[in-house]
Amino acid sequence: MMSSFWALHGKEWRISLDTPLGYVVATAFLFASGFFFGKNLFLYGQADMRGYFGVLPLLLMFFTPAVTMRLIADERHDGTFELLATMPVSTLTIIAAKFAFAWGQVGLWLLMTSVYAGSLALLGDVDGGQIAAGYVAAFLLAAFYASVGLFASSLSSRSIVAYVIGFVLVLAFFLLGATAGTLPVGWQDVLALVSPLAHFDRMLRGVVGLDDLVIPLAWTLLFLGLSWFQLERRQWQ
Amino acid sequence: MPALTPGCGHQYNPPPMIQAERLTRYFNDSAAVRDLNFHVSHGEVMGLLGPNGAGKSTTMKMLTCYLPPSHGSASVDGVPLERSLEVRRRIGYLPENAPTYPDLDVRSHLVFVGRMHGLPRATLQDRIREMSDVCGIRQVLHRRIDELSKGYRQRVGLAAAMLHDPACLILDEPTTGLDPNQIIEIRQLIRRLGERKTVLLSSHVLSEVEAVCDRMMILDRGELRALGTSAELARLSGGGAGMLVRFTGDGQPAMARLAGEDDELEVERSEDGWLIRHPDPDFPLGERVFRAAVDTSCVIVEMRRQQTSLEDVFRRMTSEGEDRA
Repeated sequence: MMSSFWALHGKEWRISLDTPLGYVVATAFLFASGFFFGKNLFLYGQADMRGYFGVLPLLLMFFTPAVTMRLIADERHDGTFELLATMPVSTLTIIAAKFAFAWGQVGLWLLMTSVYAGSLALLGDVDGGQIAAGYVAAFLLAAFYASVGLFASSLSSRSIVAYVIGFVLVLAFFLLGATAGTLPVGWQDVLALVSPLAHFDRMLRGVVGLDDLVIPLAWTLLFLGLSWFQLERRQWQ
Repeated sequence: MPALTPGCGHQYNPPPMIQAERLTRYFNDSAAVRDLNFHVSHGEVMGLLGPNGAGKSTTMKMLTCYLPPSHGSASVDGVPLERSLEVRRRIGYLPENAPTYPDLDVRSHLVFVGRMHGLPRATLQDRIREMSDVCGIRQVLHRRIDELSKGYRQRVGLAAAMLHDPACLILDEPTTGLDPNQIIEIRQLIRRLGERKTVLLSSHVLSEVEAVCDRMMILDRGELRALGTSAELARLSGGGAGMLVRFTGDGQPAMARLAGEDDELEVERSEDGWLIRHPDPDFPLGERVFRAAVDTSCVIVEMRRQQTSLEDVFRRMTSEGEDRA
């Protein structure tokens, strides 16, 4: 099982490294990240990364579906899904390998932005704990977005459709969080408990509770489960 | 199941490589494949024939565990389809249109397929070398797949299907889209493979199945209409006896006399001479024609038996289905 996991995971990296789209998306993400980091540093004189982490949910909303859109949709479009599904590999391994790739890809971008944290450390005292909590939050958010994008990719055989579905699903979560203040108090409490973005905001303040880790991971597992269900559905039709 | 009994003098008969019993698959309420019973022995090349929509691909998708049967059962090398991962390890599958990863180069595609089948690194390199030679793709190993012609992609798909040295190959229309030279090459390749492996291949090109397969089955509207060698199928389809006769002259008197002898005899003039048919395959056509010629003083210059072609059998078997519907 592990050998097929690494084979599939490696194949996704290979395709990503062999096609220009991966480089274009990564460059655009890093450019946008640099812009928002520099804006807070030079325009507002804030020597921290809170401003950058604050726009990260929006940035990742645009860029993560660009990584995940092809993962299953292209397999269906090119007919290779039939090849994959008749190899000795379980659907669970397929989902795990593809998710690991997507999370790894976005995680790699996030790691590259640690250069910003390094440059802040050179400029003066920084709150290391807060930055570390911000990165933990960012990695969890990337996992959640990657799982949503993977599910979206399992719904269509056209990657552009998968991109739009992924984007809209994540946008729905984002808007639900943004409009939380207009909801009755009871609903606000429920939303604060279950919304992965609410936990992201809390972690940015440097406080990381167990529920801040568990809730985004639970959402991630839910969407991975839905992706698994979507691939297995042909067995029951 | 027959078992090996040492010292008893009994011959060991291994279970068939593929065994299907009442294999059925519904899509919504319509049956794509219904009550399919067949077996394919070890080292046999079996052809799956049928018009479009006959259920050939659905049958293959079930045998490769891509689709579960709605009813019935099947096994590959004695392993039931329910043990899906074990079955998939024993099979090399070339789906229709030979899907491959267009963004990968040929070697990366083969490495991926080999690793998915758990081949160790050293073995994998040897197998890639061997299969590239067998399928004639060595010169394109470093080319991206989306730059290859359809024929090369087909060969890459075939090489990938054989990479892990499976005991059983399932090939869905392996020569579709190939030029005549490539078709001949792939047929020869399948024929060679059939010496060591069990092959189940589907096609709607009758001459291909006749040239490559030991036995064949004809599917129509999801049902098995016939199974056997091409000679057996001709007999089963009621092809009867046929003969082509040419005379020095017109031969009309001999043919008129012959036609008057038996109501079931069909006599018709063709470009090459006279075509005579009788529904009974054991009818002594040659003897009757000879006697009629002698009695009417006609001189025969050519007399040859007409075989019922696979095309005739196919048309008869599949059009019966249309008539029934």
